[in-house]
Amino acid sequence: MIDTLIATLVSGLVLGSLYALMASGLSVVWTTLGVFNFAHGALMMIGAFLAWTLVEPVGLPLPVGILCGALGAAALGIVIERLLVRPYYGNRNMLLITVMTTLAAMIIMEKGAQMIWGARLKQLPRLIDGEISIASATISAHEAVMILLAPLVLAAIWAFTVRTNIGRSLRAVGQNQDSAALIGINVPFAFALAFGLSAALAGLTGALLGSIRFITPAMGADPLTKAMIVVIFGGLGSLGATAGAAYLIGLIEAILVLWLGLYWTPFVLFLIMIVVLVFRPNGIFGGNQ
Amino acid sequence: MERLLEVTDLSAGYGAVTVLRGVDIHLDAGESIGLFGPNGHGKTTLLKTISGLIRPTAGAIRFSGNDITKARPSNIVNAGLIHSPQGNTLFGDMQVHETLELASIAKRAKGGSRKNLKSVFELFPRLEERRTQKARTLSGGERQMLSIGCALMCVPKLLMLDEPTLGLSPRLKKELAAAVGDIAKSGVPLVVVEQDVEFLMALTDRLYMIEHGEVVREIDKANAPDHEEVMKLYFGEVSH
Ligand SMILES: Nc1ncnc2c1ncn2[C@@H]1O[C@H](COP(=O)(O)OP(=O)(O)OP(=O)(O)O)[C@@H](O)[C@H]1O
Ligand SMILES: [Mg+2]
Repeated sequence: MIDTLIATLVSGLVLGSLYALMASGLSVVWTTLGVFNFAHGALMMIGAFLAWTLVEPVGLPLPVGILCGALGAAALGIVIERLLVRPYYGNRNMLLITVMTTLAAMIIMEKGAQMIWGARLKQLPRLIDGEISIASATISAHEAVMILLAPLVLAAIWAFTVRTNIGRSLRAVGQNQDSAALIGINVPFAFALAFGLSAALAGLTGALLGSIRFITPAMGADPLTKAMIVVIFGGLGSLGATAGAAYLIGLIEAILVLWLGLYWTPFVLFLIMIVVLVFRPNGIFGGNQ
Repeated sequence: MERLLEVTDLSAGYGAVTVLRGVDIHLDAGESIGLFGPNGHGKTTLLKTISGLIRPTAGAIRFSGNDITKARPSNIVNAGLIHSPQGNTLFGDMQVHETLELASIAKRAKGGSRKNLKSVFELFPRLEERRTQKARTLSGGERQMLSIGCALMCVPKLLMLDEPTLGLSPRLKKELAAAVGDIAKSGVPLVVVEQDVEFLMALTDRLYMIEHGEVVREIDKANAPDHEEVMKLYFGEVSH
């Protein structure tokens, strides 16, 4: 009994870390540009494939592959912002138009990955081999690294957006573009930076996930859906709320899988979200603005 | 004499709506100017166009010898032309000190950030008392102080203030007017938009009256020092 409980808790933590990394990237773009980036999951997948290409066929060390996966995804994110989001700034229907354009980017990247890398399943080696036992539950050392890395990355983003002027400029642009411009913030640069940073987080997550799940062109779809649930569930905007919601949902999901099995879990997860949003329309941690 | 700011034949508006129609104003080195005129006739639009928020449809803007007609707002700030907008709400979720520190993000302002923050707090001690308060929770007067404080953090070579005392109680209005007077005395040239002509006459050297998006009158303090006379002109013009 205790064993199952600990195992569930640990698996909830792994899921929570994954969702926290994905959702924080989504939330950076949302708070800066007011756009939901539907290509976020595909950027994650690109990060995984890039890392795999550099590690397996090319033969570079895994950490280098992971880093390049994150950087490659960041570059692609900046291109997407430039070509598919920037032309619609100031448009009254920007939110809806960018739903379409980022969905288009997602499809292009998924089909592109299919053409380049084929449909055969791929997997990355693990950062650290071996297993770690906590009480009587065991997880791979790689998963332990993810559990430790996620809060560090979140803390770094938090420090960046609260302590540095470049990071603060992202928040400022999200709240009042004209005022931001009038104190000397380069608004288009802030947009590109937000997209690049967010895509880097997606790429990093993908490269890490590529060691414990298979790398396929569609691997980003489920993390994207979950990240969206997390961001909305947490109450759009604040990083702390997003992180809290990520771990909460990871835990709920792990418990549901144990209790109801994989088949019914997504259904119940959405049900919980809908019920929460009925009573707390601004999210579970959101204020009542 | 070199002109610090020169606006020639400027037209601008919002989409299909033309607001400014061929505006000519200038500011010589060492002087301050005021803009006044009835509500909704384009004063704010003029400042927004100068600071790059609105693209002009015709005309030219030169600042300190450079053509800034098509420049990006952040580059205009970096050149030292700073605009403190009307009814500025700034960034609701950001604390006072964060906002002020952020306002030194332009290259020209980076180095002196700490020193400038100190002098802003000297000018507005109330901001220092509220340094960790979020902008959203500030009173109207405090917001106005924060907005002017941000403009000062940018190290202005020319400071444009859009109705800095709008909607304030008489006492607060006096306090802010005194602060703006201090800024002028410290040697920063000003472009001030205000409805209160007396206030403008005390602060600036020349006034432009703006109506229907055009400059309809230029008043030099040396020629028309009598504020009552200006008021007569003002009301004479408005009530056709
Ligand atoms: N964003 C906008 N879109 C469309 N029209 C606008 C916009 N902003 C202002 N206007 C219009 O432009 C005209 C000039 O407005 P502006 O704000 O420049 O006037 P103002 O002289 O500053 O007035 P006030 O003294 O009330 O501040 C007004 O008719 C106004 O309705
Ligand atoms: Mg105005």
